[in-house]
Amino acid sequence: MFSSLAVSRVSTRSVLSTLVVLLASVPLIYVFIHSGQLSLSQWSNLWSARLPGLLFNTLSLAILVAVGSFVLGVSSAWLITRREFFGRRLATWLMILPLTIPTYVFAHIYTSLTEREGWLGLLWAGIFGEDVPNPELYNVFGAAFVLSIAGFSYVFLLVSDALTRSRVDIEEAARLHGLTPRQVFWKVSLPMLRPAIAAGLALVVLHVLSDFGAVSMLRYQTFTLSIYLQMSGRFDLQAAAGLSLVLVALSLTFLILERFFRDRQRYYSAAQAQRTKRRAATKVELTFIWGWLGLITTFAFALPVAWMLVWTWEAWQQSLISEEFWGYVQNSLIVSVAAATLATLAALPVALFHARLRNKISQGYLHMASIGFVLPGPVIALGILSFVLSMLPWIYGTMFVLLLAMLIRFLPLAVQAQEASVQQLSPSLEEAGRSLGATPWENLTRIVIPVLRTGLVSAWVLVFIDTLKELPATLLLRPTGFDTLPVRIWVEASEEMLELAAPSALMLMLGTLPVLWFLMRQHDAATK
Amino acid sequence: MKRAITALFTLWMAAFSSQLFAEELIVYSGRSDKFIKPVIKAFTKETGINVVLHTGSSTALLNKLNLEGERTKADLYISNDAGNLQKGTEFKLFQPMDDKLVKVIPANFRAKDNSWVGLSARARVLVVNTKDKSADFVKSVFDLADPRLKGKLGITHSSNESYIAGVTVYLRANNEKVIKSWLNGMKANVGSSVFNKHSKIVKAVANGRKSIGLVNHYYIYRHLAKHPDAPIKVVLPDQRKDDMGVAWNVAGVAIVKHSSKKKAAQQLVEFMVSEAGQKLFADVNQEYPTRPGVPAAEKVPTRASYKVADVPMTDLGEYRAATLDIIEAVGMP
Repeated sequence: MFSSLAVSRVSTRSVLSTLVVLLASVPLIYVFIHSGQLSLSQWSNLWSARLPGLLFNTLSLAILVAVGSFVLGVSSAWLITRREFFGRRLATWLMILPLTIPTYVFAHIYTSLTEREGWLGLLWAGIFGEDVPNPELYNVFGAAFVLSIAGFSYVFLLVSDALTRSRVDIEEAARLHGLTPRQVFWKVSLPMLRPAIAAGLALVVLHVLSDFGAVSMLRYQTFTLSIYLQMSGRFDLQAAAGLSLVLVALSLTFLILERFFRDRQRYYSAAQAQRTKRRAATKVELTFIWGWLGLITTFAFALPVAWMLVWTWEAWQQSLISEEFWGYVQNSLIVSVAAATLATLAALPVALFHARLRNKISQGYLHMASIGFVLPGPVIALGILSFVLSMLPWIYGTMFVLLLAMLIRFLPLAVQAQEASVQQLSPSLEEAGRSLGATPWENLTRIVIPVLRTGLVSAWVLVFIDTLKELPATLLLRPTGFDTLPVRIWVEASEEMLELAAPSALMLMLGTLPVLWFLMRQHDAATK
Repeated sequence: MKRAITALFTLWMAAFSSQLFAEELIVYSGRSDKFIKPVIKAFTKETGINVVLHTGSSTALLNKLNLEGERTKADLYISNDAGNLQKGTEFKLFQPMDDKLVKVIPANFRAKDNSWVGLSARARVLVVNTKDKSADFVKSVFDLADPRLKGKLGITHSSNESYIAGVTVYLRANNEKVIKSWLNGMKANVGSSVFNKHSKIVKAVANGRKSIGLVNHYYIYRHLAKHPDAPIKVVLPDQRKDDMGVAWNVAGVAIVKHSSKKKAAQQLVEFMVSEAGQKLFADVNQEYPTRPGVPAAEKVPTRASYKVADVPMTDLGEYRAATLDIIEAVGMP
């Protein structure tokens, strides 16, 4: 009886997850169809004329950002998890707060700060004199700077998590055997952290590969920007699809790397996580710690927020914040809430399916659901657009199209977040419930949902945050006249209306804060 | 939870139904909201027809229109670049307008088949620092390639629509070889340091960081309105006897081919080419109204006072690809 129940469950799950996965693969199918229309000579032209430069640009940016995020993320994580010092909780927060600011906002703010008349430009002129030209951000280093401060928090989160769970006893054993603290770090701690660091860096690189906002504001030609320019400037959809295909291959490599290292991390972390003992920091260490973390925070959070506040104040003074502004806030909230809910629900069958089956097919489904991570936003939007126009024309122009794109883009986040908690839901748990006389409904509300709660909430929050910041797909697919905060930031920033872009950016940050707080609280509870 | 879902659902339905049933015009607008809203407001006040502005980059919106085909919700398309408008004509996205409707606008400011009509024009001029004499020799845009201006010249990056349009005009008035060596000269003068905004060029010239810059005329007047004492002046290039004249570009409007509200759309175009509409449309950005007899803002040199390059605006679309090829071949930043 139980086995027949399990079978029918699996098949419902398999049907539902097949549907979700099929939907998720729409943009990839689109890319295949369009790049298939490229002739051989067009391919070789693309190959020789564009690819070398783009590969070089994209990879050098990815490497620089990886280095930057490594330095910022690992150092801050190590200091915070291994020393007890005044303001440690606050420091943890300061390291993740940059996640509330989208990359294009960082890019926009830093380009105006480093202008001659900007705060940093004036500072530069004050120190080095008027004649030394101030550094520009319109190059690989500028883009790497912006994407590093915008992305290092991912590395921080993963590495500090691994550090909290790591086996302190091994380090202690190494100390007992006469290794110096430095040797312990390089020979014991760092090797154990390798999977977490690698997973974090792979995640950062994936974000670099698909970033559209920052590179287009800094005019740094990566694959994603070039694809967008091919589509919108030259109306060359085939070439855009061809380039996308190469990008997919590139991203897929990093995605597989990330999965590989995440699995390894599970293996490394101790079965019974031991609470790390944090040594109290000495005075000298305290100065160093806050000096370094303060420097990171200044650039990754304080300075951008100060900029937003100053210009929002300016806008307030000129009474530029109109009723329409609150309409944009409302639109952003509607899309984000709806997309987060949809993605969380859609991810559930895929995660459950994998938890139950654990075979090649379910693994494959998991990979297919990650397509949103390997395709750039503009391409996903275009794929959805042509799919909807040819198959579901009656929903075109409604919000469902936009939600569909958000669902596909952020499904990987939702699936990953749920995967962990789904693993705890062993079939025996449900069967035990049933054998003790629980109805299916009771089983659902008293066993399944409580076990999955953490995963469901994190999935919801992660998708909410990313939808709130989403730009390229929203630009193309929003219903007519439906402007969200990112769209307004984009429009105002490209017209250089700083006073108008700032309130939207500030609002975006404030909107992310409560959900981030919620997520962190849950995270803390889980690691305690 | 249930109540939240019901509320959400109601909200959605409200959002959708307003889209389905309201009688309103939808305009894909590539022009900044600030410069189009006053015109739209006046139009709604006069006719009672509501207008929804869907703002974005001109090129991206044209692309969207092209992909949507007959499914589009757009009734009109507004762009600040004749190149994009002409591209739309090439893609057969617009429906030609009645001669009666648009004949008040001179023929060189509209498509041959009247599928788009220019509403306001801008001039590509030079902004020069009045205290700095080093750029005084410049009489033509081609002088900007002179090595004497090394490090002193401000231009935008080469994917700027106005920049591309300007180069297209010069290309039509000259030949490819001239343009290539001109671009190469400018590239040598600016290195890789170009501006992403015209307004920043004007600012840089005003504070002496650059001596001269190539911009659309209204950016200079905008800066002067905020800083009346700024040491900058406008120089109209290429005015000597055999010179080609100043390059112009127009912002314009087209009625989308698959619009179901043709009549209301025509009303909006009619309003925009009327004397009142023209004055509004051009005044908000100190541009030249395309309708003869409607004066431009007072400070702006009158159109009769200088020579304008004799290149039809439709060329800006037809030869854009050729321009892009040259720009890419030179490798302009």
